[in-house]
Amino acid sequence: MIEEGRNAEEARYRALLELDVSAEGARETLVAGLHDESWRVRRAAAEGLTRVPGRDQVVERLISVLGERDETGARNAAAESLSGMGLEAVGPLVRLLGHVDPDQRKFAADILGQLGQSQAEDALVQAMLEDTDLNVRVAAAEALGKVGGKVSARALERILYDPEPLLQLSALESLAALRHPPPLPEVVRLLGNPTLKRSAYRVLGLIPQVAATELVCRGLGAESRSTREAALVALGTQAGLAEPSLRPEMEAAVRLALKRLPEAVAWVASALESDDIELKAGALVAAAALREPQLAPLVAEVAQEERLMPEVMRTLAYFGPETGRELLASMDRLSFPAREVAGHVLVELVDATFVPELVQMLDWGEVDLKAVAVQALGRTSSLEAVEPLAQLLSHPELAGPAARALVILAANFSRQVVQALEAALEHGAEPVVLSALVRVGGTAMLPLVRRTAREASVPLRATAVEVLAAVDPVGGLELARQSLSDESPRVRTAAVRVLGQVGDRTMAGLLKQALADEALEVRLAALEAVGECGAVDRVADLEALVPHPDGAIAYRAVQALARLGALHDEVLRKAVGHGDHEVVKAALMAGAASNEGVSLAVGLLGHASWDVRAAAARVLGDSGGPECLPATRAALAAEMDSLARRALVDAVERLSGR
Amino acid sequence: MSAEEFRLLRDFVYGHCGILVRDDMKYVMQRRLWPRLEALGLTDFSAYYRYLRFDAQRRAELETAIEALTTHETYFFREPRQLKAFSEEVLPQLERRNARTKRLRIWSAGCSSGEEAYTVAMLLKDSGRFEGWDVEVHGTDISRRVLVAARQGEYGPSALRATPPDKVARYFVHVGPNRVRVRDDIRAWVSFGHHNLQDPDAALHVSRPDVVFCRNVMIYFDTAARQRVLRLIYDKLVPGGYLLLGHSENLINLSADFELVHLRSDLVYRKPELGGGGSP
Repeated sequence: MIEEGRNAEEARYRALLELDVSAEGARETLVAGLHDESWRVRRAAAEGLTRVPGRDQVVERLISVLGERDETGARNAAAESLSGMGLEAVGPLVRLLGHVDPDQRKFAADILGQLGQSQAEDALVQAMLEDTDLNVRVAAAEALGKVGGKVSARALERILYDPEPLLQLSALESLAALRHPPPLPEVVRLLGNPTLKRSAYRVLGLIPQVAATELVCRGLGAESRSTREAALVALGTQAGLAEPSLRPEMEAAVRLALKRLPEAVAWVASALESDDIELKAGALVAAAALREPQLAPLVAEVAQEERLMPEVMRTLAYFGPETGRELLASMDRLSFPAREVAGHVLVELVDATFVPELVQMLDWGEVDLKAVAVQALGRTSSLEAVEPLAQLLSHPELAGPAARALVILAANFSRQVVQALEAALEHGAEPVVLSALVRVGGTAMLPLVRRTAREASVPLRATAVEVLAAVDPVGGLELARQSLSDESPRVRTAAVRVLGQVGDRTMAGLLKQALADEALEVRLAALEAVGECGAVDRVADLEALVPHPDGAIAYRAVQALARLGALHDEVLRKAVGHGDHEVVKAALMAGAASNEGVSLAVGLLGHASWDVRAAAARVLGDSGGPECLPATRAALAAEMDSLARRALVDAVERLSGR
Repeated sequence: MSAEEFRLLRDFVYGHCGILVRDDMKYVMQRRLWPRLEALGLTDFSAYYRYLRFDAQRRAELETAIEALTTHETYFFREPRQLKAFSEEVLPQLERRNARTKRLRIWSAGCSSGEEAYTVAMLLKDSGRFEGWDVEVHGTDISRRVLVAARQGEYGPSALRATPPDKVARYFVHVGPNRVRVRDDIRAWVSFGHHNLQDPDAALHVSRPDVVFCRNVMIYFDTAARQRVLRLIYDKLVPGGYLLLGHSENLINLSADFELVHLRSDLVYRKPELGGGGSP
């Protein structure tokens, strides 16, 4: 029977999902669905009604369902549907605020809050101040917390003097939601009210002043756990809002308050482990004040809330060197995000005494832990660290970090590091070892590099080409010429890069071949190299590539032409018409100083991509004349994107001053 | 990282895989991608964005970037209450339902380094209900690097931090100091593959599952991307198949396609028996 019932429910649900909402009778079918016994069917009906044409009638019909007193499920579903109707529902719902039935007025206030349209603000303020029913006033106060605005905030502040505690509570919560705290003396009065205390701390947190911190600190010492937690939450909010210059003073006040509490460490530890993210944020501030190494692993675990990661890093940075050992000892038990931040901190704290533990970690750790150990070993300034790092030079993922760590150690142990790198290279190390070897050993390594350039390994050959040019440009150029005929695209790419870096305009002939290479990576490198070495003979080739549909090619062609100073107006116009917005921006930037560039920028203020519009605004701000001001102002008036607006505001300001 | 650089990178990543880096996560993005700039010798995030767009190695680098941006936090026997419900209430039902075919398919969507998929296989083994059956727990993830680790099946203490000692003794072998490997008979039930959950075509290689574990994966997505994933899972699941989400996740305001099933120790979602959709 149960199974049959489920199947029937599914059939009704599917029928509503598949209903043609524009068909005759669809609206009433969906309204009937609002009355279904199954929440899934009601949900489908509510969603379907938001798509029915003739929204005005649908809204009125839904409002009529709100009046069906005994149909709780249908009323709630109708409310859900209305909250998806947008602006068109605001007027009818505002009218419903005047209904004789307080139940319906409350529904109206609730839904207006869900809609979040500022057009409802005045009506909600009026309902909150003047309605005769407390529930309606409370619903209006709560809705104002979502609708927002200065008018709401002022009205909510007035309500803080209302004799009804429930109304005061809603007003406080809404002020907190609007991030509009009442004046500090007003909050002090409310802190004494047991019913309102928790919410009062919330708004107190929004006042980043030392006087407010001192009040919060009093709360940290309260007997009631809920008050202490509310104070801790306020502390976290304050810390997030305070100017950096204010933080030391705030932290000193917190430290003083916590020192007086015998159970502070245990209490903060428990708050760090809570599920409440706001409480955790406050506990981080308290932990930074306590600087107790045993808290370090718990602090690191807070990084599981990724948005708190900056505060976690900041907190751990306050802890002393003992923290490093505490973190290292707990590394195997930490979660992934905690290990990430702990590793970062550990690297800053290690010295030679850490080497044995770090080497052990190389044995058992996962790759991310090993990478931390490798980086940390590089910072130990210990000869004992060289050998374990050298053993990782053929590890595909760790060779790079190990080579970088060895380069750091070479500051003290150059000879030993060179020996380790040379030995590793003999035994098939990763190419990055060759670069490290040249960085540490300098020109003395050239014979080895030349030998490596004849190796069978493609990555080693490619690296040798680039490394040689870095220490011996003439020899490097010669090797690069030869390597242009290498069978591997990777080696040819390296050779082309070298031509760009150390060659001159006479490379144009060689680069012509590279521009026609069968491998895309070689052609892309050649486009860059043309601009880099000033091979002006290739301008025509570049111009032909500007309209190329592949943005990667077109972008590089534009960049290279700009670098050569050869981006002529006609090509510039082609480039700004490209379908890839990065090509357009590159062209805009390249032509920024020219009259044509400015004129094109005006046209691009209406481009489909926000970043192109922002770039065009910047060009006009930099190079436009007063004649560009009307168009820029018009673009600002029409702009909806926040970043593009920011660029336009700046451009208008600068153009107005010319 | 400027606001524009953040937006460009964020939108690009979102367009590729549906992972939404929220505005308040700019710091995290900056921290996690900075090592990539260092490794590639790039000076700013604009250059990195162009590298992701235009370099010959862009595909590989995008994978690396996504890997850096996602947390691969997972461990064996995570969320024990849900696993208890799965073992004690879902598995008996599946045994009855599939008694004729003796075939069971479980998809661990967003499996990271494999702990969840292996845990499920261990629970199947523990139940003693599926010996001699055609069983496969298939783990998929967008990160190829974590899949390499998953296939290796070797773990350190962190991965075992919630594993009861008797389970460690039964299902793992020690392979070094502080290192264990999942026993071969468990590995035999588990397979892994690369899959971007935002790419419906890529799901064609996933067999129609009886159960989908998609825990703490959708937290990375915005509403639209979550709805796409749920649609994909709905289509793939057999009618009557189960969907298990992370303990902080639910389908409110995302989908009414699934029914909510109240088990004794947890709530799970199920595709209704008459549910439509379905792909091979």
